[in-house]
Amino acid sequence: MDLIQTIFWSFVALIPVTLAQSLILAFVVLGIMIPFRTLNFPDLTSEGAFPLGGCVCGVLLAAGASPLTAIAIAIIAGFLAGCCTAFIHLRFRIHTLLAGILMMTMLYSINLRIMGKSNLSVFGAPTVFDWAPFVQPGFPASKIIIAGVIGAVVFILLNMFFKTEKGTAIRAVGANPDMAEAQGINVWVATIGGVGLASAFSATGGALMVQSQGFADVNMGLGILINGLAALMIGEAIVGKQTVLRQLAAPFVGAVVYYQLVSFCLAAGMPPPDLKLATGLFVLAMLALPSLKRSRGPAPARETVRE
Amino acid sequence: MLEIRSARKVFYKGQPDEKVALDGLDLKLNTGEFGVVIGSNGAGKSSMLNAISGALVLDSGQIVINGDDVTEMPVHKRAMRLARVFQDPMKGTAASMTVAENMLLAELRSKKRSLRQGLNARRLADYRERLALLGLGLENRLDTRVELLSGGQRQSLSLIMAVGGEPELLLLDEHTAALDPRTADIVMQATVRAVDALKLTTLMVTHNMQHAVDFGHSVIMLDAGKLRLEITGDEKAKVTVPDLIGHFAVKTDRMLLAS
Ligand SMILES: Nc1ncnc2c1ncn2[C@@H]1O[C@H](COP(=O)(O)OP(=O)(O)OP(=O)(O)O)[C@@H](O)[C@H]1O
Ligand SMILES: [Mg+2]
Repeated sequence: MDLIQTIFWSFVALIPVTLAQSLILAFVVLGIMIPFRTLNFPDLTSEGAFPLGGCVCGVLLAAGASPLTAIAIAIIAGFLAGCCTAFIHLRFRIHTLLAGILMMTMLYSINLRIMGKSNLSVFGAPTVFDWAPFVQPGFPASKIIIAGVIGAVVFILLNMFFKTEKGTAIRAVGANPDMAEAQGINVWVATIGGVGLASAFSATGGALMVQSQGFADVNMGLGILINGLAALMIGEAIVGKQTVLRQLAAPFVGAVVYYQLVSFCLAAGMPPPDLKLATGLFVLAMLALPSLKRSRGPAPARETVRE
Repeated sequence: MLEIRSARKVFYKGQPDEKVALDGLDLKLNTGEFGVVIGSNGAGKSSMLNAISGALVLDSGQIVINGDDVTEMPVHKRAMRLARVFQDPMKGTAASMTVAENMLLAELRSKKRSLRQGLNARRLADYRERLALLGLGLENRLDTRVELLSGGQRQSLSLIMAVGGEPELLLLDEHTAALDPRTADIVMQATVRAVDALKLTTLMVTHNMQHAVDFGHSVIMLDAGKLRLEITGDEKAKVTVPDLIGHFAVKTDRMLLAS
């Protein structure tokens, strides 16, 4: 009884911190969802774009830039990284996943170059979280408010965008690239722009994370992709993905639920080193579910993706 | 007007399995003309249509649409001028998007896409009206995702999408071949009605000799990547199925069955 109570209360005590963290990481999940679901372009760039955003933001904060400027430039850097991945895929006909691996590997060096060292403390530098009204800066409440508000604005804008004429065209490229092209849509522009936008969100997550935790680290992206995918799967299981609205809500809902789950597992005594294994198994299970459900006959269930 | 000037395309050039798809093909199609393209398997009919749409890059030769040389233009730029319906119903529509969204994409084919909301009441009413012409009930399923439609419904939708916006050129590649006879008939009737009403310049590939006799202003027969025969005017009006079959080097059962 006592043990369960201890677990429960240590979990509850962590809820606000975890919530703040998950609202920031929701941007990365968004950055994974957009290429994967909207553009049918499974993309690994986020694993490099997230620390890229962090490193750019860290260096700029250390140089005395305003937190907003730091985020804006991190977004641009992330956008360019995503554009590069898409371009590598389109121009050289390299598989999207391989293009993403190439990009994220190269970004590791670039991130190191940007910071000049593997770790940079920006503790005490002004952050966007200082601007939350009514609450003390530095506490989870301020992070929840700021990250939540930015997330809500992004969510509303994206939901509007994907229903505009241009946004519909971008979705068509993911749904059927040949058809999109035959309907006069420039597949290159849509793909490069879309993957760029997604990586820009991953970089936003990195920049916010650095401002939240007070340091930047080249290794901060390690495993972010699989965490993000797990969060996306959970989000889609909860809110679905049939409409633009639901598909866009999935990353946010998924991130919040997933990181609370992780926090709970850790509070319950799961050894942290096992976390990636557990997450990986979870993602595998979610991806395998459709083919397991169809227990009889060969499973045609395969994610159709762009080669 | 469409002009194809000595178009040449060789697949696997220089290799033992070299395939000449287009072998110096010349063709002229006047504005408002409805040409029916026939020819045996591998004659180069699809290759010709792909070369016109830009999906196939020619080794040499030119494609000219209404006086403009479009040979160097990418597919998405040519789409401003031409619309196509593919043989495969899956190919011409975006499966995971709704009927209305597909109609919107087609409407925007030749327009500049803005940041305004895509689907609005005016557009939905317009789509409903246009889809109602088919008599398949699609007008009541605007919010249905296309993947839930049958092949025939999808192909009908593709056709309505293609003829909307009055393209300068309409390309149909065996667009009823994958459908059951009744649905094929519906789609064919809708095609003929639209082409007549809008006076669309059209190239339609078919293996159905009866269709070639019944529809269109001219019959264009391809063989081994070349224009073998063109029947126009009075001659076309009088042509019969046996006449057409007589021009084929090899007669297949499929041809006889289809007629
Ligand atoms: N992508 C390709 N790669 C290699 N060879 C091709 C390709 N497309 C067409 N060919 C070859 O070019 C020739 C013409 O093919 P095409 O598809 O144009 O014929 P078709 O007249 O449309 O025939 P069908 O009536 O069977 O549709 C054929 O010999 C074919 O094998
Ligand atoms: Mg063909």
